[in-house]
Amino acid sequence: MMNKKTDVLVIGAGLSGMMAAARAAQSGKKVTLLTKGMGTLSLTSGCIDLWGYEVDNPKQPCGSPFAQIQKVVEQNPSHPYAKVYDVLKESLTFFQGICDKDGLTYRDNGGENWLLPTAVGTLRPTYLAPTSMAVKDLNKVKQIVVAGFDELKDFYPEVLVTNLKKSKLLRPDCELTVAHLKSGWKKLYATSLAHRLEQPEGQREVIRQLKPLIKPGAIVLFPPALGERRDIDVAGLISKGLGCPVYEVTNLPPALPGQRLQDLFLKYLKNQGVTVILSSTVTGAQVAGNRCSHVTAEGAGKTFTISAQTYILATGSFVGGGFDSKPGQIEETIFGLPINTGDGKWASGEFLSLKGHPFNRFGIDVNDRLQPVDGQSKVILENVLVTGANLAGSEFSIEKCGNGVALASGFKAGKLAGEVSR
Amino acid sequence: MTQKHDKHLILDNCIKCSICVANCPVVKVTDKYAGPKQNGPDLERFRLDEPRAVHPSIEYCSNCKTCDVVCPSGVNVSAMNCKAKGEYVALHGAPIRDQVLGRVELICKAAQIAPALVNWAANVKPFRAIGEATFGVAADMPFPRFASRTFLQQYKPKKINNPKGKVLYYPGCYVNYYTPQVGLALAEVFAHNGIEMVVDSFNCCGLPTVSNGLTEVAKGYARNNVAKLNSYIEKGYKIITTCPSCNLTLRQEYHELFDMDTVRINNETYDAFEYLLMLHEAGKLDTRLKALPQRFGYHQPCHLRSVGFGIPSLEILRLIPQLEVHNLEAGCCGLSGSYGFKKEKYPISQEIGQNVVQAIQEAGVTQNITECGMCQLQINHLSGLPIHHPIQLLAEAYGLPSYLPK
Amino acid sequence: MATEKVQVVVVGGGATGTGILRDLAMRGISALLVEQGDLAHGTSSRFHGLLHSGGRYAVKDQEAAKECLEENMILRRIASDCVEPTGGLFAALPEDDPAYAEKWVKACAESGIKTEELNIKELLKKYPVLSPRITKAYSTPDAAVDGFRLLWSNVNSARRYGAKMVTYHKLSAVYRANGAITGVELTNTLNGEITSVECQMVINAAGAWAGEVAAMAGLEIHMIKDKGTLLAFNHRLTNQVVNRLRPPGDADIFVPHGTITLLGTTSIAVEDPNSTKPSEIEVENMLNIGRETMPNIDNYRIIRAFAGVRPLYQANKGAGGRAVTRNFALIDHEQKDGLKGLVSIVGGKFTTYRLMAEKTVDLAAKKLGNNTPCRTAEEPLTQPVTSEMLERGKKVFGVPGYKKAAERLGDAYGKVVEKAEQDPSMRRMFCECELVSASEIDYVAKDGDSKTLSDIRRKTRMGMGTCQGIFCSYRTLGALGNNPQFTVGHREFITEFLQNRWRGIRPVLWGQQLRETQLSTGIFCSLFGMERMNDE
Repeated sequence: MMNKKTDVLVIGAGLSGMMAAARAAQSGKKVTLLTKGMGTLSLTSGCIDLWGYEVDNPKQPCGSPFAQIQKVVEQNPSHPYAKVYDVLKESLTFFQGICDKDGLTYRDNGGENWLLPTAVGTLRPTYLAPTSMAVKDLNKVKQIVVAGFDELKDFYPEVLVTNLKKSKLLRPDCELTVAHLKSGWKKLYATSLAHRLEQPEGQREVIRQLKPLIKPGAIVLFPPALGERRDIDVAGLISKGLGCPVYEVTNLPPALPGQRLQDLFLKYLKNQGVTVILSSTVTGAQVAGNRCSHVTAEGAGKTFTISAQTYILATGSFVGGGFDSKPGQIEETIFGLPINTGDGKWASGEFLSLKGHPFNRFGIDVNDRLQPVDGQSKVILENVLVTGANLAGSEFSIEKCGNGVALASGFKAGKLAGEVSR
Repeated sequence: MTQKHDKHLILDNCIKCSICVANCPVVKVTDKYAGPKQNGPDLERFRLDEPRAVHPSIEYCSNCKTCDVVCPSGVNVSAMNCKAKGEYVALHGAPIRDQVLGRVELICKAAQIAPALVNWAANVKPFRAIGEATFGVAADMPFPRFASRTFLQQYKPKKINNPKGKVLYYPGCYVNYYTPQVGLALAEVFAHNGIEMVVDSFNCCGLPTVSNGLTEVAKGYARNNVAKLNSYIEKGYKIITTCPSCNLTLRQEYHELFDMDTVRINNETYDAFEYLLMLHEAGKLDTRLKALPQRFGYHQPCHLRSVGFGIPSLEILRLIPQLEVHNLEAGCCGLSGSYGFKKEKYPISQEIGQNVVQAIQEAGVTQNITECGMCQLQINHLSGLPIHHPIQLLAEAYGLPSYLPK
Repeated sequence: MATEKVQVVVVGGGATGTGILRDLAMRGISALLVEQGDLAHGTSSRFHGLLHSGGRYAVKDQEAAKECLEENMILRRIASDCVEPTGGLFAALPEDDPAYAEKWVKACAESGIKTEELNIKELLKKYPVLSPRITKAYSTPDAAVDGFRLLWSNVNSARRYGAKMVTYHKLSAVYRANGAITGVELTNTLNGEITSVECQMVINAAGAWAGEVAAMAGLEIHMIKDKGTLLAFNHRLTNQVVNRLRPPGDADIFVPHGTITLLGTTSIAVEDPNSTKPSEIEVENMLNIGRETMPNIDNYRIIRAFAGVRPLYQANKGAGGRAVTRNFALIDHEQKDGLKGLVSIVGGKFTTYRLMAEKTVDLAAKKLGNNTPCRTAEEPLTQPVTSEMLERGKKVFGVPGYKKAAERLGDAYGKVVEKAEQDPSMRRMFCECELVSASEIDYVAKDGDSKTLSDIRRKTRMGMGTCQGIFCSYRTLGALGNNPQFTVGHREFITEFLQNRWRGIRPVLWGQQLRETQLSTGIFCSLFGMERMNDE
């Protein structure tokens, strides 16, 4: 049986896992990242949401998310942000640096949240957005052209327009225009549309069909499929051809912004010398005292072991596969760490409400060093660090903090793992 | 390890997130394929009642298995697609072309009568034009060249005193018939490290037959191979492959597709570099390697990605001083065995492969390595650059015959 | 206020009501059916969809068993596209009384129900999901029936004979004069509009609501409301109905339905006919019993739980639940209460709905002086889709989408296929889990009876599969941009739809379904912010 050795083993290839691996690699550690599938990053918007609404008035989008997070940290010491607040800004800079270097620039809005349109015409608050999504000065725009493709079944300009029209943020005289484009293909998925738009003839065709609709002061909103490759600036090229800014909006998965980020990070990690093992599952851990000595992994049904100084648990919550559940019972699948399930209620009666759902808050309690702790705050495993959606205490879908928590906690875990002496 | 996969349980794991569709290289470049999810977990629910529930676009699945790799839910999407293809072919039949292309073993055996003549004929333009018009075999895709003598004909086992390990090498059709130098280089590396290596004649692993929906033929190969491999395992041999697709097929596909018990084979079968890495981790690999001041691009074959042990060749090649290997990280090369030889799929295959071309240009490398013979063929065709198996570089660094062109 | 005039108003759009509507129409009696929600709003879409062979009742009540068998055979004939002739099997476990099995075999033979003893080894090989502890197993002619489709087929057939039907209308008053019914008042539940209808007769086929309807006429009917909860599994566990070979009990029937399997049911007395919320305890209890027949049941994904209220009728009070007869009763209120023009049909079971309708309309017709005989057992409900049309469907929807659509759409199939032939974009599958095409959704949205996404869901099965509507609800909303009733209130449409799905998911929220739900919160809240939509 193969027994692999590494300094830092990161389990999971979502945003927190990849951040952890990147940061640990920067400290000169030998890092191995192992993952079953692609992380759920590609199911997200691809933007970095830190915090969306005012803590005291949860219907009101907040200006600066940092002020709100500070409040959260003060009021709720069990929120994941309370554990990683010290590195939040540093982690954002680190993240932006990695993305920038590879040509995927993430923009902030001068310290305030962006309010960016979605495919259903809502405006979602987010802190960092890739250039292709960062709609500037939506309140000054005179015309919004929403470009859908008839062959793409996951995007409907009418839905977007119907609801965006109701937004008080827009100029009262802002004109909303629906454009139905034809690709010439029988059917389109986000990725095939993206591929088509990377070709000059694809761009030409879109520009030809859209141009007559564009008025002065217009912007164009597209489904999030303006190219997959980072070396072709599809948004920029179409924008140039139309003579007005064009943007991608948030939509159902699969969407390209999250996928671009995932690709970028995996490539970055490999270039930093991180050993990336795909299609492999960690099935169990060997624990001696309060340390993990090695984990057992399985690729295509064959077992091997990996031993490391530090293990970073970034397997995600339920969707990511980090937690498994049966009636009345939730299990962390690798170390069997205890899951904090609050008062034991799993779900709310209303599916869509400001309360969100308890199951989204379920997770592992940690100390300030991200080590898992029990009910008495005693460290359970000192060389295991917990990140991202594995952490207890945040409702990503309502608070709009999923990628923010992932980013900061991943960064901190990587940093801490980097400080461990050999 | 475990082979407890209940296919219905795995079917239940799918949460319809579409990550498989988003990462499918075929979906990206053509509108002819309904995608891995539709023919996989979506229609699988219907097939429990109606086995014919297969979307005709299934023939556009290239069986690269990217869907399996990216699935966060552990769904064996590609196996569902392969079985669906088998079902479709059983019902509608396969064109003669696919029946021939799928039977790689037969083609190779037949070609042994006069390899040189076959090589000449296979790449004569007018012949190829006729082949395309008559049988739908893409004229522009070059066939690999048969070696004048097969690996099995050339290999002479060396006597190793007190071997550190004993292995059976399963060269697979590609190495045996087209690139025997890979097997010969491997033999040198193993002998140098005190590993006893034996060979035997086997059937084709069956992957090309599966990919063409010729499930029954594949099942026959599988039965023969499993019996023979098991007999070696019983005698204490580890099974070694250099072809990632053979490796995947022996270890996983027989079980997934034909419900065969291959637990032992799975545990005892190793990619050559996986085996070497294991020796290295145990401190048994000779690491006295001479410097190779060269730069190579590395392409990871899809099926190597899919077996889930990382890229052991890169870990070993890192031991070679001054050798710079750049991981191209460009996804599927697009050929997918016989897929890219089919007239209607050739453009798809070439389009998918553009990512690799692009990555090669970006990296500025002028020579490449990859484990898979078919990937080698495609990347050479796309880039015009030389490409080798990584074992040849290792042999070279040991100062052994590497069979690299001088 | 609009006024209409018909001979008979039928109250209740369930199996019985729609069966009555068709029977009336075929005998030339003008009739209007009134349903407070969507068709099958009550119990007719909230049961296990089993078309009984009679085997379940053979020991206890041979008459009922014979009725079941006869109606089973009639429905296979007249509604072949609503019935999936799966066949059934009755399996005994060691703890089941062997004497019952003997009695059962004999009773089945006496009732004319064909049974055949099965080889256990072969059976287990065919369905490894079954318990290896099974001691005896017999095949029976049980079948699966799609209640919802059967109801619509009845209505469509009745409409062809001139009958009328309105959904989302509640009976708000019953007019009477001189000891006779003269009409009814209806309230539109969507917009509050009021209509009055003149009629000579009201047939109360309101099932669990029969007491409420009678009360409106100042009369009393004592209904026993018996809640039954069911579980829907994500895939077909077997291809045959599985019954337990013992006296009927909770959670002992598994029915394969299209892509899923239903397990049912419980039996709990309730007060309110709207008590259709399944509880977690019921789910747990059912799994405990189901596990006996299928030991690995916990490993299979349950996509939702739902509950229906059985309207049981017992003239002499006291009994409850399974002890109450499942037979029906026809109440002539002229005789019983001295009110002319009111007839109530209560109790009974889905399998015998046609017979119940026949008996009811026999009585009604006699009172109305109409002596046309009943023909509902002879004339097929729908014309079978032609093989030529099926072939054309195959070209645009593929296998098995074409067949599923034909089963769902019946007579309307041709139009849906034609639309897809003309416009390739209409061939796209909007609901990928249940293979529902854009063309089908578009057709159903425009049929005049669809008011909400949930109405479309029930007619098409859109959103009934694995993902429970996460993806197709948004797509459907988008694609309905040209249908005025769906262009405003997107938040309301999606919220109503998701909330309906949530009712069923919440009691089975674990394993893969919890993962699916978390993904759903990610999409609708994190990506779309729908929890705050239009709040600003």
